[in-house]
Amino acid sequence: MPAPAVRLSSITKRYGPVTACADVDLELVPGEIHGVLGENGAGKSTLMKILIGLVQPDEGTIAVAGNETVIHDPQTAADLGVGMVHQHLSLVESLTVWENVLLGDHRRFDRRAARDQVAATAEHYGLGIDPDSQVSDLSAGLRQRVELIKCLRRDPRILILDEPTSVLTPAESEQLFATLRDVVAREQRAVALVSHKLAEVLHATDTVTIMRQGRVVERARTSGATPSSLARAMVGREVSLRTSAAALGATDELGDAATSPVAARSFDDRPEVLRIDSARLVRGGVTVLDNLSIRVRAGEIVGVAGVEGNGQRELGDVLSSLIALDDGSVTVDGTVVRTGRAGAMARAGVAIIPEDRHDSGCVLTMSIADNLLLDRIDSVARGGLISRSEQRRVALELMREFEVQGAGPDSLFGSLSGGNQQRVVLAREMSSKPKVLVAAQPTRGLDVGAIEYMSSRLRAAAESGIAVLLVSTELEEILDLSDRIIVLTRGKVMGELQRSEATSELLGLLLGGIAAGTDPTGGAHDPS
Amino acid sequence: MTRPDQATVRNAVWLLGLYVLSVTVALVLSALLISITGGPWRGVLNALLDGAIRKPGRWGDTLAEATPLLIVSLGAIVSARAGLVNIGQEGQLAVGAATATYVATHLSGPLAIAGAVLAGFVGGALWAGIAALLKYWRKVPEVITTLLLVFIASQGTGYLLTRTFLLLDDDPNKPNRVQTSAQLDESTRIGYIRIFGNEFPWSVVAAVVLAIAVSVVLHRTTWGFRLTVLGRNARTAQRIGVPVVIAGATALALSGAFAGLAGAVMLTAGTANYRFTPGFANNVGWEGLLVALVARNRPLACIPIAFVFAALRTGSGFLAATGVERSIVDVVRSLLVLALLVPPAVAVMRQRRVTPPPAAAAADEPVVSVVVA
Amino acid sequence: MIASALGAVGDILGADAMYNSAMRFAIVLAFAAIGEWVAERSGTLNISLEAMMIGGAYTASITWSSTDNVPLALLAGMFAGLLVSLVQAHLSHQLAIDQFVVGLTLNIFVLGLALFLDSRWEAVTQVVQPTRIPGLVDIPLVGEAFFGQPWPMYLVVPLVPLAWWLMFRTRWGLELRSVGDSPQAADVSGIHVNRRRRQAIMFAGLTSGLGGGVLVLGQISIAGYESGHVGLKGIIAIAAVIFGGWTLRGTILGCLLFGYFFALQQTLPVLGYRMNAQLAATLPYLVALVFTAVFAARTRQPRALAQPFVRGLA
Repeated sequence: MPAPAVRLSSITKRYGPVTACADVDLELVPGEIHGVLGENGAGKSTLMKILIGLVQPDEGTIAVAGNETVIHDPQTAADLGVGMVHQHLSLVESLTVWENVLLGDHRRFDRRAARDQVAATAEHYGLGIDPDSQVSDLSAGLRQRVELIKCLRRDPRILILDEPTSVLTPAESEQLFATLRDVVAREQRAVALVSHKLAEVLHATDTVTIMRQGRVVERARTSGATPSSLARAMVGREVSLRTSAAALGATDELGDAATSPVAARSFDDRPEVLRIDSARLVRGGVTVLDNLSIRVRAGEIVGVAGVEGNGQRELGDVLSSLIALDDGSVTVDGTVVRTGRAGAMARAGVAIIPEDRHDSGCVLTMSIADNLLLDRIDSVARGGLISRSEQRRVALELMREFEVQGAGPDSLFGSLSGGNQQRVVLAREMSSKPKVLVAAQPTRGLDVGAIEYMSSRLRAAAESGIAVLLVSTELEEILDLSDRIIVLTRGKVMGELQRSEATSELLGLLLGGIAAGTDPTGGAHDPS
Repeated sequence: MTRPDQATVRNAVWLLGLYVLSVTVALVLSALLISITGGPWRGVLNALLDGAIRKPGRWGDTLAEATPLLIVSLGAIVSARAGLVNIGQEGQLAVGAATATYVATHLSGPLAIAGAVLAGFVGGALWAGIAALLKYWRKVPEVITTLLLVFIASQGTGYLLTRTFLLLDDDPNKPNRVQTSAQLDESTRIGYIRIFGNEFPWSVVAAVVLAIAVSVVLHRTTWGFRLTVLGRNARTAQRIGVPVVIAGATALALSGAFAGLAGAVMLTAGTANYRFTPGFANNVGWEGLLVALVARNRPLACIPIAFVFAALRTGSGFLAATGVERSIVDVVRSLLVLALLVPPAVAVMRQRRVTPPPAAAAADEPVVSVVVA
Repeated sequence: MIASALGAVGDILGADAMYNSAMRFAIVLAFAAIGEWVAERSGTLNISLEAMMIGGAYTASITWSSTDNVPLALLAGMFAGLLVSLVQAHLSHQLAIDQFVVGLTLNIFVLGLALFLDSRWEAVTQVVQPTRIPGLVDIPLVGEAFFGQPWPMYLVVPLVPLAWWLMFRTRWGLELRSVGDSPQAADVSGIHVNRRRRQAIMFAGLTSGLGGGVLVLGQISIAGYESGHVGLKGIIAIAAVIFGGWTLRGTILGCLLFGYFFALQQTLPVLGYRMNAQLAATLPYLVALVFTAVFAARTRQPRALAQPFVRGLA
């Protein structure tokens, strides 16, 4: 076995009372893809941030190529040959591809040479891209290529990928893993693949380290591991529920329950509660919603599947009264709702769990009680004067019902953990007695327990007669919950399937932009 | 109620120490500046204290001086609550005083004073309303527009004093009637309270009541609640049904209205001998804004701070004997403001090093943003 | 009526003095606006630009009156601007105090300080004599404006391409633009966001301090520093950046436009036109307000403008 490219020994990092990493050891070996597997909040991203210099450990040492070092900041990490492909954050939209690739470098600044080099790196790894295009014009998949090129151009000996497939279609993911295997085999780099998706780790890595609650709970050669043993280590208990399997991104690999999809139900006799007709939205010259029509009947869960950046965010914004449609209409329970008018959707009975709750779902610097009653503060006020005791009482009741833990009603919303924040949002939205519930990426960033909770709540909502629109990039989640599935590509409906007809293969093809019923050999997602 | 744990107590003591230190540094720097330029710093300190509170009748004057500062600062808090940066109170105050003068010199009778005050309120609101219009219609940051409007207001109100059909005193018997308005008659003057050898106008009491009212409205009413949501997360506000443009424009106009009201109060309480003159605002708008900043947008905290700032104003009137220019007070005041801004910021930074924000629970003030979606 | 109005327009367009004066105002504005442009592209709406100009103006004039040395006076002005910028930069990008609060307080502080110091140590200066470039200066109308300015004014000529080159042809500029648009992305790429922002503010301090110096030495002052001299020109310079849609070309255009109206206000009485002094004085500010409003909405501002960056606060 070759000497490790990097060795993290006894790393501990505490945030106040919370220990994010406890006595963690990790070795990355040249020529190997090392999976770092764990639920959200298991400590794997803190560990990687320590390795890249964004976070300083409280205890423990890092040795790069056998030499102990302190990594103060990302610049030091880069000098030591540690590079990271970030999930979302590291590209500047207003700059061109080559400018982005150069960012953070400190070699001589030569525009022409840099451009050529970017083109050469892209070609070397088979990642076609135009160095002069502006990043804001690129799809999420192409942006990730830029990230990868940016990282590889610095010739890192250690390459970290943080949840790389969340923005990719299945075909694009496959291509990414092919590139990675090439990087590892031909160039003897050490790669760490950070993921919460079991199937992905099983499929693409050589060794795997599993983390739970800040600790390493298992280390194994991937070839010798079984899905169920990994899942048990990851979650800390037997995983059999279908939803848990979906949450781990391993419906096919885990459990018997996974093979029996929900019984097909018919909703034809129920009223259409949400109707979106021929919605069109143009932003900065780009058509982001294109003649989009969606119907959801009472009691039905309709899943909107799609790779990130295909109009889901804008769809959510329209249903949050944040933007007005350029054309088309939204009808709730038979009444047309004016889009873009403050609070109109909420008044019409549309509840929403937004994709980014910090963006439009809460106020971080107000209390939990305030956040629970954000849209209904009038209900605890008399003559415009808020009754704090009444507000507290209602808040406590909701917190009990929705099992919000970790702080009292007067604490700041921002002091809650992600899962509890999400429960507050859910509690508020459900207690407004909605007719429609829009759940946009409702489980992103949550651990398995929280995901199970959220899924059961969504099912219960549908059973009580609410029309549920689930927008998600996680195929497993869509397949797990939906009665009917709509595939969204570039703001258009690419296909519509009953749950009984849907398989992950078929959905994968549709996501790649191949319309249902056309020849699936037509090539997926043209990169140019 | 749980007892505060040791760490909390330690943090509080540490913060207090930091405040003492930075205020001391500001005062020492001021004293040094006076000494270096050849002035007696002890003499300056004594003169300031004499003028502000020690000499007979002085604290009444200081209370009167504090009133418009307090009213301006309350307005500044209203707009800050909505996440807006109104820094044009100096101009809004001048416009409010001018409109109040017009009404007060054209009306008489028991309602004249109410009319004048109302006119000041409306004038300030309209002037700030221009900035609101430009922000929401043309996306110009209100930081810039409110500032530019200060200059236009101060020169523009000067123009009003050059025409008799506007504000210029039209009494032909007055020999030297250059650029001042007619004097307000008795019916439009605010009455005075006399107590312990001091006297101050009734508006002092009204302003304190106003501060309490603003505090209640912002913290306890649904309107204040919605305004707070708007200031801290405009997109969430839009989603829950706070009309961003209307609520924001209202807050900006209201903060201008308070500045205008302060102008009307200055006029009717006789700050400039019951006349409107060029330079009438006399930095009260700027200083009132600073009061709000130092109070970190808490209405009740503005009351003592407005008094301290007013003390610097009334005290500076006694500086002549020391031979040191009044402008030293501007230096002392802004050094004090800087000194009071630093400790809480250092505390936040220190806190952040110990515990990273799980999300972003750091700032207790709204994150100010000029970006318009 | 119409004829006399046309006559006035003709007089104004035909007056050499008008072009000359407009150019001087524009140049003074440009020194500050170029620095502000750099600062804003890196994410700071730096309203203490006014304080930097005031500091530069007073320091330059006191240095001139005690040494008679123009280059030294200009350097002293730059130094004063730099000092103000250091305070602004550290308070707003180290301690994360609201940048408008800091800027506003600094404006009041420096204005008061200059006023106070001026009352103790009064500066008496003279205008630097124009350098007339033979031949070219005799071009009708604009000859004086372009080729007959006091030499400090010409410092703006290298400054414009220098600023452009720094922003678009150096790594430093690339990093500045990235921290103005997407500080989180810049941070994970290994760029010290707040260090770059502080440097951008310091650049603004240097150029606007120089602008303040040029204002008192090169333009209008014959008695030395007076408190009204800068008179919100820093704020007008900020308006020029916004008017210019955060492009260098647009910013310079804004300076020329606003400078023209400063000159108009000053030149009209000289040409024998009577206008109310107060109304005339509002003219440049009114124009800045109107033109900024007309052109602001269609442009794209740096996305992180006026937003503080603290690591971990996404």
